[in-house]
Amino acid sequence: MSARWVPACARTYALALLAAAAWAGAAVPADTAVAPDEPVDYWTGPINGPVPATLTGGTVIHTTELRALLKKNGVILVDVSNMPRRPENLAPGAPWLPIPHPVIPGSLWIPGPGMGAIAPDVEAMFRDRLASATGNDINRPIVIYCHERCWLSWNAAKRAIRLGYRRVHWYPDGMEGWRAARLKTSIADNE
Amino acid sequence: MLLAAICALGSFAEMSPARAADDDAAARAERWKALQTAILGDRKVHDGSGVIELDAPPRALDAALVPIGLQLTGNEPIKAVYLVIDNNPSPLAAHITFGPKADPRSIKLRVRVNEYTFVHAIAETQDGKLYATQKFVKAAGGCSAPAGSDDQQALQDIGRMKLRLLGDIAAGKPIQAQLMIRHPNFNGMQMNQITRYYTPARFIKSVEVTYEGGEVFHLESDISLSTDPVIIFGFVPQAKGKLKVAVRDSEDATFDHSFDVPEPAT
Repeated sequence: MSARWVPACARTYALALLAAAAWAGAAVPADTAVAPDEPVDYWTGPINGPVPATLTGGTVIHTTELRALLKKNGVILVDVSNMPRRPENLAPGAPWLPIPHPVIPGSLWIPGPGMGAIAPDVEAMFRDRLASATGNDINRPIVIYCHERCWLSWNAAKRAIRLGYRRVHWYPDGMEGWRAARLKTSIADNE
Repeated sequence: MLLAAICALGSFAEMSPARAADDDAAARAERWKALQTAILGDRKVHDGSGVIELDAPPRALDAALVPIGLQLTGNEPIKAVYLVIDNNPSPLAAHITFGPKADPRSIKLRVRVNEYTFVHAIAETQDGKLYATQKFVKAAGGCSAPAGSDDQQALQDIGRMKLRLLGDIAAGKPIQAQLMIRHPNFNGMQMNQITRYYTPARFIKSVEVTYEGGEVFHLESDISLSTDPVIIFGFVPQAKGKLKVAVRDSEDATFDHSFDVPEPAT
């Protein structure tokens, strides 16, 4: 192959090697990865990957703490995982069958505010949704989650803290952690 | 009684563990049934043991790049395989039909997985019988993972290809080949971190591979295929010849490449 290929394709080769390793049965369990330090600002790298163990200004909770928290009244649960979007150019006959979106019962599903950089209209939407859910009470406990190994909820929780909310909880175990504990889910309201 | 009282005291979000797990299993079974109908109509699907095997990591390192291997282990001649990722929004990840030049016993590719899901592989025999097998894959978020750091860069290299023969070539003996195609396979769900808007979908619709004019395989796919697809397939070289690859994407752009297959040892 031409030498020009090499620099542009270094990533492809690396990925191919990775895939080859996985094909050989060397898949690495996600939870053995080392938790990175918190970025100074929002995380703009790949959404899926090892996440920090901390969130400055907020509280990191796991399933036990979340269940305890939910026994109290007035907790706002927010799922910030993405909504599948049907590509306009999908073949007409191709089945497009997104599954109904499962959430922790009682959650608001607000896709969008978890990316590292978001458009002003998405930022405004997030601010308004939180304001209306909390009744403009910055002391209302908020729990933000998406999936395991997913930065969307870390970013969105950081955004909520910067919006002034004082009791922001981040649940990094996400839907996978909730389901692993065999707890009930429900279908998001906005479907 | 005590148990019932404890459960009753539990929060609104809870239920007995066994019940939740059953619901999960029931929902997954129902989903597969619905997908069978959507993709295969009312055709009977048999147990794939001894016909088709599916290799997939129980937990994937990268949800945007989940390696899948299909092994056709039966004696009946195989016409095609379907790869279905049950819980992806576009569940039919690939439909591969094999031609006369193929060695259809093994094919590997990489896919995106949006959330924990069963993956089904279905073999269709020449006489139209269907055999299915399944694996559960724990991976989440593959559909929204950015294709790379730079959309423009990805589009610049679009359509470039590489082919590597895996092993020594011998006339009339099946050989595996690794085909690498540069294509971002944007699925429309990835956000561009600079423009802050979704990158428009642009993805590979078909890959046609021929050897000396005879078909090796034809793959129909869409957004579940990973960025920069890598496909490992088998074919049977007879003599020095050309392996041709034709890729078409959702913009109707076509990318053709011809690779020289060297003279096999006799």
